[in-house]
Amino acid sequence: MEKPFTYFLTWLGLLAFLALTCASAYVPLGPWNTAINMAISCAKGLLVALFFMHLKKSGALLRIAALTGLAFLGILFVLSYADYATRDISPAAWAARP
Amino acid sequence: MSTPIEGPTPFAPQTSPPVPIRAPSPNWSGYLGEGYTLRSWLTTHDHKRIAVLYMVAITVFFFVGGAAATMMRLELATPAGDLVSAETYNKLFTIHGVVMVWFFLIPSIPSVLGNFLVPLMIGAKDMAFPRLNLASWYIYVLGGLFTAWALIEGGVDTGWTFYTPYSTKFSDTNVVLVILGVFIVGFSSILTGLNIIVTTHKLRAPGLTWFRLPLFIWANYATSIILLLATPVLAMTLTLVALERMFGIGVFDPALGGDPLLFQHLFWFYSHPAVYIMILPAMGVASEIIPCFARRTVFGYRFMCYAILGIASIGFLVWGHHMFVSGQSMYAGIVFSMLSFLVAIPSAIKVFNWTATLYKGSILFTAPMLYALGFVGLFTIGGMTGLFLASLALDVTLTDTYFVIAHFHYIMVGGSVMAYLGAIHFWWPKISGRMYPEMLARIAALTIFFGFNMTFFPQYLLGWLGMPRRYHEYPPEFQLLNVFSSTGAAVLAVGYLLPLFYLGWSLFYGRRAPANPWGATGLEWQTDSPPPKHNFEAEPVVTRGPYEYDPVR
Amino acid sequence: MSTIQFDNPLERRAAASLGMWAFLATEVMFFGPLFMGYVHGRIAQHAAFAEGSHHMHIVLGTLNTAILLTSSFTMALAVHASQQGRSSFRTWLGLTALLGLAFLGIKGSEYWMEAGEVSKASGPVLKFYFLYFAMTGLHAVHLSIGVVLVGWLWRGAKLYGRDYYSPIEVAGLYWHFVDIVWVFLYPMFYLIERYAK
Repeated sequence: MEKPFTYFLTWLGLLAFLALTCASAYVPLGPWNTAINMAISCAKGLLVALFFMHLKKSGALLRIAALTGLAFLGILFVLSYADYATRDISPAAWAARP
Repeated sequence: MSTPIEGPTPFAPQTSPPVPIRAPSPNWSGYLGEGYTLRSWLTTHDHKRIAVLYMVAITVFFFVGGAAATMMRLELATPAGDLVSAETYNKLFTIHGVVMVWFFLIPSIPSVLGNFLVPLMIGAKDMAFPRLNLASWYIYVLGGLFTAWALIEGGVDTGWTFYTPYSTKFSDTNVVLVILGVFIVGFSSILTGLNIIVTTHKLRAPGLTWFRLPLFIWANYATSIILLLATPVLAMTLTLVALERMFGIGVFDPALGGDPLLFQHLFWFYSHPAVYIMILPAMGVASEIIPCFARRTVFGYRFMCYAILGIASIGFLVWGHHMFVSGQSMYAGIVFSMLSFLVAIPSAIKVFNWTATLYKGSILFTAPMLYALGFVGLFTIGGMTGLFLASLALDVTLTDTYFVIAHFHYIMVGGSVMAYLGAIHFWWPKISGRMYPEMLARIAALTIFFGFNMTFFPQYLLGWLGMPRRYHEYPPEFQLLNVFSSTGAAVLAVGYLLPLFYLGWSLFYGRRAPANPWGATGLEWQTDSPPPKHNFEAEPVVTRGPYEYDPVR
Repeated sequence: MSTIQFDNPLERRAAASLGMWAFLATEVMFFGPLFMGYVHGRIAQHAAFAEGSHHMHIVLGTLNTAILLTSSFTMALAVHASQQGRSSFRTWLGLTALLGLAFLGIKGSEYWMEAGEVSKASGPVLKFYFLYFAMTGLHAVHLSIGVVLVGWLWRGAKLYGRDYYSPIEVAGLYWHFVDIVWVFLYPMFYLIERYAK
């Protein structure tokens, strides 16, 4: 079981990440903005899961359960994008060229 | 809590002569005798009673779906579209698919037999969440009511796959109502899966380690994981179809920058694993029945477990083989084709192991065994023809022909339904406390086997010759094979009606079943038939693996 | 309540936790197609999504994120207090529900203001708006369920204590999950190319 002070630190960390992600959005970095935002979101999610949801002190079973959903969502994204990334779109003869 | 038990004494030796019952006797023993009012059934938290509720509900839907199939086969007996119009035919095959997939096949083994057997097989008093279990049945009924409502309103014509843009923009039938029904019934499956997972993890009897679990438990556990991970994707995807239809939100609409193929990706991400939701529990059933009536331990137990997990996980990687001709990238097609071939490996392991279990066994051709052997053979044919369809180039000509129809009916009807009926017979003494009439049951099993092959084998040939699916009329040269198929369907219908009657008869007139009529090894056979309310008089302790049948000398 | 299937309270608590985590895995997959639709749109119609994002009320969105993160903090404290057998868990539960309501109120006012702009939008920008309403709407539905759940625990607080706190623990898991979903929705809708404006 975590101490309340740990929860407090977690909360401070979350708010700091929120400030960081919001501020970074105003710095023009092109595609890196999205990367940074997603990385910060993952970090925030991890903080919540590890401390608020006690995954840090949970057994293997709960950790596996927590990761399984994400892993299978990953399969959905990766294999669908295996299609989108390599799809060759040939317009019909009557359609305007893009 | 439990009331005194009537009927045979616990742990009765199987040789004791059963008492023949001549007059109808309403005083059932065990959990069946806990209450005779409708209220006692509709408010029960007992997993066994909920299983019976499910059995009644899915039987109703099985015959609704079967009626639609009968109409289709009647129409196809002649080349001309003379019995029903094209529109009606579209609605018939849609309702046949929707009802059979979501209201019969998916809940069939997990929700009926899984519910009944999982706690019994692992030595638990009930499921982990009994109230959730009852809720799942009510959710199923609610979903069924919406679907029935859509039927009364005039049905749907999209096919069970709801492909966009037809379902979102063009169909003028009750798409949203049926989607609502399927959405709701999905949550019933999710709750059942959740219950089975937690029950298997937390409520196993002392000594019952993972590698002492019956394969039926392994199969239902793996199925439940698929239910949990795949069903919500379907629920949300169909919600998007409904939203698109009502408000035009554009996720699947090219005019707003959406992609109709995205629907197919999402739909098959669910619906391919859904095939394994239907077939894995059937494999679990076969793995129980075959060792019992071959009087041998199952061959390669651990590999059977790994194969179950392998099928469940690889099943998530192959959905693109439904989209080879959809316009998906050729390279993605190659990847999906290769991954699809991989599924054949664990499936073949299972078929070889069942066959090896029979080797030097002392085989009894009881009705459940006939179903189980039928399952293995038909599953093998269905699986092998699946490899034809997983081959990229061959699929281009075979896609959307009757070859596909025959392939998946060999898996789902020849596989899952055969196993479901085998399981109902095998565990009927446990469920009802009565024996079914053996000779009639064997006749029914053989009728179903022959009727099935006569119905669907000609469809392989039709597909090979190029007859497309989903048409209500066809060129006259296809008539001979279609007449074969329709005749087979009539035989099949008789085969399906037979158990309905003799099992109903045996509820009242069947002779009382002893605790373990088959001399089987599972924990469920160590308690009374039917079991008392909380399953076991004393918590069982397990000291050995499953299927330790005496070696045949 | 029938609990005969469990041998002891510990087993019961473990079953409840596992059940909730398995349910959350389901929830992840439930949100999945929406995320997939978003990613597809974001890549295919990048400019339209950036334009739509500039119409979002970033101050309200950021404030709401802070409120929700804080509510997770109070929820964690509620679970902690109930584990320790302290009755203060009721206060923390009440606070959590109030913060959840505050989030919903702000979200509702945002919807109110955005409704006018949606009617002017067309093409892929419209799709951005639809995805925004669908995803934040689904999140709001989940949060409403969470508020009802926490309010219900608050009302029946007498039942819980050091010996029996697993309903509060499990509700906490759900609450934190809903929080994590928002943590991802926030940059996806509010922060696309903010610098360009």
